[in-house]
Amino acid sequence: MTGSARSEIFARIRHASRGAGAEQIVGELRSLGRAPAAALPCDDLYTAFLVNVLNNQGTVDCAADRSGAVAAVGKYLYEHYRTHRLVAGNDQRLAAMPWRDAGVLPRFGALEPGETVAMSYARLGVAELGAVVTFTGRANPAANNLLAENHIVLVDGAELVPDLEAAWATINMLTAEEGRPRGINFIAGPSSTADIEGKLVQGAHGPRQWHVILLAEAGEEIVEKAREIATPG
Amino acid sequence: MQQHSENFLDNASEALGNKSQAEFRDLMALFTPLVRDAAVQGFEGFDQLRSHVKRIRQHSLDNLDHYLDTYEQHALENGNQVHFARTGDEMNSIVLDICQQHQATRIAKGKSMVTEETGLNDFLQRADLEVKETDLGEYIIQQAGETPSHIVGPALHKTAGEVRELFLDKHELGERDLSEPADLVSEARSVLRRHFLEAQVGIIGANALIAENGYSMLVTNEGNGDLCANLPPVLIICTSVERILPRAEDATAMLRLLVRSATGQPQTCYTSFYSGPRREGDLDGPVETHIVLLDNRRTDILASDYREMLQCIRCGACLNHCPIYTSVGGHAYGWVYQGPMGSILTPLLTSLEQSAALPNACTSCGRCEEVCPSLIPLPELLRDLRHQEMEQKLTPSRWRFGLKMHAWLARHPRLYQFFTGLGIPLLHLVGRRRGSFRRLPMASGWTSQRDFPSPQGKTFMQQYKAGRKAQ
Repeated sequence: MTGSARSEIFARIRHASRGAGAEQIVGELRSLGRAPAAALPCDDLYTAFLVNVLNNQGTVDCAADRSGAVAAVGKYLYEHYRTHRLVAGNDQRLAAMPWRDAGVLPRFGALEPGETVAMSYARLGVAELGAVVTFTGRANPAANNLLAENHIVLVDGAELVPDLEAAWATINMLTAEEGRPRGINFIAGPSSTADIEGKLVQGAHGPRQWHVILLAEAGEEIVEKAREIATPG
Repeated sequence: MQQHSENFLDNASEALGNKSQAEFRDLMALFTPLVRDAAVQGFEGFDQLRSHVKRIRQHSLDNLDHYLDTYEQHALENGNQVHFARTGDEMNSIVLDICQQHQATRIAKGKSMVTEETGLNDFLQRADLEVKETDLGEYIIQQAGETPSHIVGPALHKTAGEVRELFLDKHELGERDLSEPADLVSEARSVLRRHFLEAQVGIIGANALIAENGYSMLVTNEGNGDLCANLPPVLIICTSVERILPRAEDATAMLRLLVRSATGQPQTCYTSFYSGPRREGDLDGPVETHIVLLDNRRTDILASDYREMLQCIRCGACLNHCPIYTSVGGHAYGWVYQGPMGSILTPLLTSLEQSAALPNACTSCGRCEEVCPSLIPLPELLRDLRHQEMEQKLTPSRWRFGLKMHAWLARHPRLYQFFTGLGIPLLHLVGRRRGSFRRLPMASGWTSQRDFPSPQGKTFMQQYKAGRKAQ
């Protein structure tokens, strides 16, 4: 069925298309230019990213280096869950962190039922959206993004990009080197819904909390400034 | 989905009779344009963005053969099985075959208007499969045995109280507190989490298909579509041929328009791109993925003067701004798509005979065109459909006669002025004491709902000429 359906649908589309050559099509597409992006809430890329994370109902923290990041995670886990445990993918960058220094006990793999907090190391962050981007795979199983009650994401300041166009330039470069991952996930907030009377409720099917830690020098100042500018609804 | 568009007028009257629902719709009609406007005003260059995406979509449709072919090649390279379906029935059969090959009994489904269009749920349920909608709004209406009233917020017609009653009836969970919307969301979350983990097949739609890399884009706030795409061992993506865009950046340029126009958000929580089955070494993800591409008369639309309708991104802005939709609600339209976009798509995807009332459900106010992120000339397309109804003699003969008479008179200005010059003073004489008419011959449609104001004595042209002479 689908073979003849395919040729019939293609024939009908060809009939309604212009029949231009591939080269001409590529040239025309290029000439259409670039889409305008949303303006950033402030000039500084790091601050702008955090402002948008806060506007997306995320919580933020910062750390100057890996030790600081581990300490921030340990503090967050203890304050919120009185635990030291979390799940993380088999990400070499996460595996190399000095977890013991902060007494955090990570388990590396995909989230299992009963586990509450998962942690990811973002491949990049997009300031325009206040989103982190993860690739599915051994380094970040999809379950960790989706099934945890709380998703903590670490993002490197050097891996922030201003807008979606810059994000794709980076992603296209990464996938050209590593191959196409099964999933590319832009995450911009805890899971939410407004399907009942238009009222926003967090924790629809995915994480109820989303906590972003920015790895950057002078992070504390940036976080403070971002909190001043942000207007979470 | 069973179509009832021919009952539009009766459905509309019934909807208007339900006072509390009508009041709720009035409230939504105030609220939804406000959030959209705030989001659009927050994006400098929104019009420039609309024009850019319009050019990209135009280019994609003009060269759809090239892009569909490129998309298919990449999708196959990514390890997918790609299927083509000419009709809704073909799509349903393809999906059922895949489910049966895997002896699947439990299906977790993300929101997909295409599968609403083909009636996939009923089809699979008739074959004894347990299909659960997982988008909260879709889940609510599925449990209630209803159809969507809005393409973005399918259950927005239901109050929290109604959802509470529904959950108490459908979920056997004993006594519990469901007083707040958050309690209802939490209950749906735990009921559906079990289904996600047990489902053998996940079915989702796609907001865009990307030709350059074979990925499909999925946009949600709840994350339910992502759970459908990642947890069950088999994934089926049901979508339609016109969703194809050249590059990933084109899909996310469109996303900027979609989120602001649909929910007034600057960004949705989850924007995901899926390429195919799990890769070597992956710890999770489906082991088999299928993409089913539906035509269902879209290629007819592509070859017709209604081609621009294929640029619709299903944001629902035209519904939220339409005085007819906000008065009568989505169910009156009697099919999957509602409001201005539905009044065009329904006749094109089904038949003009069955849905002749819909293109007439328009005041030509133009708000839909103003807010359409795809710059589709919706009022113009609705007018073209009404014109087509006249030509196909689907319009009642009395109307056709009246319109023909009017058209003839309008083309003969002297005669037009002569007749109105007789009629207007006469109406003025008869009606001047009361100031209005309760009934008028040949205008009962007007006077059944409101009074007709009595004219002031002279026609516009008479007053205009008198004014010129005085100068």
